[in-house]
Amino acid sequence: MVLITVRLPAGLSLPDGMRHLGLADEDVDLAFGLIAVDSAKGLYALRVSDESARRLGWGAGGPYADPKIEPFGPPS
Amino acid sequence: MRVMIQLRPSYDVVAAVADPRLTATTADVADRLPGVVLDDSFTPVAVPQPVPSHEGDPLSLRQPITYSLAGEHASVMVRGEIADDELTARLSLLPMVRRDVVGVFADPVIEASLTCGGDPAVGDWRDVARLMRADELQRAGLDGTGVALAVLDSGVNAAHVAERLGRLVTLDVQRSWNPATVDGRAGEFEVDHGTMCAFDALITSPGASLIDIPLLLSRAQGTTVLGGVLSDAVAAFAHLRTVLLAQPADRRSLVVTNSWGSFSPRWDFPVGHPGNYSDNPAHPFNLIVASLEQEGADILFAAGNCGNECADGRCAFPNRPIVGANSHSRVLTIGGVDTRARRVGYSSQGPGRLTARKPDICAYTHFKGSGVYDPGPDSGTSAACPVAAGLVAAIRTQWPASRLSPAELRTLLRRTADHPRGADFDHDLGYGIVDPAAVLTTLRRRQAA
Repeated sequence: MVLITVRLPAGLSLPDGMRHLGLADEDVDLAFGLIAVDSAKGLYALRVSDESARRLGWGAGGPYADPKIEPFGPPS
Repeated sequence: MRVMIQLRPSYDVVAAVADPRLTATTADVADRLPGVVLDDSFTPVAVPQPVPSHEGDPLSLRQPITYSLAGEHASVMVRGEIADDELTARLSLLPMVRRDVVGVFADPVIEASLTCGGDPAVGDWRDVARLMRADELQRAGLDGTGVALAVLDSGVNAAHVAERLGRLVTLDVQRSWNPATVDGRAGEFEVDHGTMCAFDALITSPGASLIDIPLLLSRAQGTTVLGGVLSDAVAAFAHLRTVLLAQPADRRSLVVTNSWGSFSPRWDFPVGHPGNYSDNPAHPFNLIVASLEQEGADILFAAGNCGNECADGRCAFPNRPIVGANSHSRVLTIGGVDTRARRVGYSSQGPGRLTARKPDICAYTHFKGSGVYDPGPDSGTSAACPVAAGLVAAIRTQWPASRLSPAELRTLLRRTADHPRGADFDHDLGYGIVDPAAVLTTLRRRQAA
């Protein structure tokens, strides 16, 4: 699964968004959901399969790095 | 430039300097040296000369050496200063105009080594409370009561925090949130890094309401060690925005403390790639950070533990280790100092990758506190960040975002910070060490106006 952004009408639920984008359940990280990054601009993030990201092409932003994050301490 | 000057005056003067019963002055030894401002407060020191022993083999490199302070052997050292723009000429001319000058040497500033990971604690959390003026803040009604303080970390064990602090802890279970792959109840996680962060935040804002977000326990993408992935942080920030927007617009206050980050470019797209995180303000996480701040949240990130002097072994960025949101212009980036007000050697130095002038300020770390890592201290910029967040939460008790915007609050903390070297800004300490007394004075002045 990769992290992408899409532009959708404001206030859409995950199922509505998936329908809008033509994505099936197996294409999407359903647990992660549809995250409003900037709701005023209708910008949402979701995690989809590599194949779905390719299929969405110019309609989506990314894929973006989803790096591992770790605590800053104690220093070793 | 400060210099040490080695002289060979007359035998009797050398003997006088070497004799501990007598006191010779710089004027006795050097009189005046052209172009050198001599330090009269410095007592001249006799420098012994190595002399081969009589029994030794004169052709051997290992012949025994003795050190002689006899008048005919020893020399004398004084100290002074030569103007930087005259240094080269003076160094050439001095031995010519004064035959008693044997050598001129640099006199560099020396400092005790900086605190590093593995070193024992420097002070304890009560020292931090004193330095952070916790009592004074509370007397002024600034104790964090009613302020939401989100700890995005490995989960909080509220019972442990309460026991160590010796007082009740307010936990906001309703507004706490777990990433999709994390089980467990707010405030009941294992005692670990997040518990340390919660403890350190409450030193200065004991009344704050903790929002527990165990981001680093995420098992997304099969992570097995303590550590999550950034997409969970995107979701966490989206949750925090709903928390913030649910508050009345005139009383919004949400402080978000983040003692984590990305250690390695191995997990990232290359710089310049449109999907890159470390240097890309258009990455979704950097966008949602900006959007949460715009709604009124105060967001603090630790600078990281990749300081030049003793970087954490995980640090893999070849330079500029304050990356991504940790260097965002709309967050406060917190470096670390010990309770003696000296930068800890592992505190990451700027410039930052998204914003050059990072870190913003420093706060206290490497002190005996939560007991999470006993016998080790609360350490890393991981501890410094929540200590600073505690002050922000304390301020927000009476100064919601409608009264003092997050940008104004960041400016307040930068302008009042105390830089031990008197600098306006540098990439070691940013604008300096957080100064709660100066913050209080400024807030009182603003209130009176």
